[in-house]
Amino acid sequence: MHLLMMSMYASITAIVLAAIEQKPESTRERVIHGLKVFASFMVIGLLLSWLLYPIPW
Amino acid sequence: MQTRDELSDKVSPRFAGVTDSPKTYQATSPPFRIAAVVAAWLVPGGGHIVLGRYWRGLLFLVLISGSFFFGLSLHGRLYWPQTDKTAMFHVDLISVLWTFAQIGAGSCYWLAQALGLGLVPRPEAATYEYGNTFMFLAGLLNYLLIMDAYDIAAGRKR
Repeated sequence: MHLLMMSMYASITAIVLAAIEQKPESTRERVIHGLKVFASFMVIGLLLSWLLYPIPW
Repeated sequence: MQTRDELSDKVSPRFAGVTDSPKTYQATSPPFRIAAVVAAWLVPGGGHIVLGRYWRGLLFLVLISGSFFFGLSLHGRLYWPQTDKTAMFHVDLISVLWTFAQIGAGSCYWLAQALGLGLVPRPEAATYEYGNTFMFLAGLLNYLLIMDAYDIAAGRKR
């Protein structure tokens, strides 16, 4: 459930950020930029959850 | 010996990406810019639609309003500044911030308010925090879209 919600959050944010980014000249570059944003959200989110998991409070 | 202009002609193409001034596009009149900003706030993606970026505007409309109402369906709460006699300025500051985040979604927020959706907080629901997060996301992303619409209207972006 949590992973699904995280993926949805990351997808929505990545699509919007990729659509408004000015640098990409072509659609392909824009899609790659969006995928990078999505991957960053997922990797950083998972890394943080893994690091914070042992904290008891 | 090369003249300064000859040297500049030879060197400049190599540094075109670095030295070129920011590209400018066709700017609209100030009243139209304000109209685009208001439209962008009222209807997510509305600013882009007003500026002729129909597909982008529709995409934003679906994503932002979808995120907001998805949050509501997950028992997210509609925030409004709460009074708190013990707090500074007699107002619960965190509720002001949450309200600011949600109100960015414009008509989605007011529609939910009018329909009485999410007015009763349900923190006992398992998806309560997820719901709130999606509603904040919708509002905050729409602030970005408002600024993007202004940049397009001002001729700074395509």
